[in-house]
Amino acid sequence: MAVNEKLYSKMQQEIFALASSVGEVVEKFKQLHHPLSESHERVPKATEQLDKISEQTEAAAHQMLDMVEGITQRESDIVAGLTELKTKLSAGTQDNAEAESTIDGLIEKADKNCNDAYTIMDVLQFQDITSQQMNHAAALLEDIEGRLDGIISIIHGKDSSNKEKKKSTSKRAERAYDPHADMYEKKTDQEMIDSIFSKK
Amino acid sequence: MTQTILVVDDSPTIVKFVSLSLKTRGYTVVTACDGMDAIEKMQGIDDVSLVITDLNMPNLDGYGLIHTLRQNEKHQETPIIILSSEEDEADMERGMQVGASSYLVKPFKSSLLLEEVTKFLK
Repeated sequence: MAVNEKLYSKMQQEIFALASSVGEVVEKFKQLHHPLSESHERVPKATEQLDKISEQTEAAAHQMLDMVEGITQRESDIVAGLTELKTKLSAGTQDNAEAESTIDGLIEKADKNCNDAYTIMDVLQFQDITSQQMNHAAALLEDIEGRLDGIISIIHGKDSSNKEKKKSTSKRAERAYDPHADMYEKKTDQEMIDSIFSKK
Repeated sequence: MTQTILVVDDSPTIVKFVSLSLKTRGYTVVTACDGMDAIEKMQGIDDVSLVITDLNMPNLDGYGLIHTLRQNEKHQETPIIILSSEEDEADMERGMQVGASSYLVKPFKSSLLLEEVTKFLK
């Protein structure tokens, strides 16, 4: 009887210890669930931002190349027009009215080139926009990194406030960006904005 | 004497783009990379006719800069244009509340920028 009681007591202790371990495992799984689900949500956002950067960089590059193509074509026309004018002037065969018309045409082309140069300048703002998008994607990835560090710490039972994490957090704090920066999808027009400021 | 415009943005591309657009129209441009830098630069300038500032910047953001400038008697009436990629009405309202005069959403055409500038500097 005494032996059975001793065995029973020992079994009871083991079962309690096992229940406690299972409880700890459940608690750790609960702790893991949040960072895992958060990381799972952030990965597609980071991917979406990177895709947007790729698409918008390509669109901006194409837009600028089209402008450059137009500019170089008009530059050739201007040079050809001026050369022809010079030749006729040297030969004394240039009609005044015709010269005036040629010059007007050349001025028009030069103006168009100037406007296209301004458009290229406008489009070059893509660098600022994509830089903000990249900062957003980097911040999302850094956030995931932090959460994965947390998961590793939970699994290994370590303190997550190590030097590497502090270093990463301080770098993240330096980022100043707009997560909604977009090159081509404007939702507002200037008139609407001006109407808000006119209430002032 | 030309009018001086202070351009504040942490993006060197935007600073260059805005400066170039303004210089071609004969304005004198002073640049700063964030709000703190802008406040320091303004101490060395006698007369700033207009300030163009970004919102999201390190050290001191655009809201902080505008708030600080409006506390200074000298700059209570200085026109301030915000440049931001933030399109939320809440951001525009907040900008207006801290004392901004106008708001442009990035990316913007240089012609639109010049239009806004000439509204304040005739």
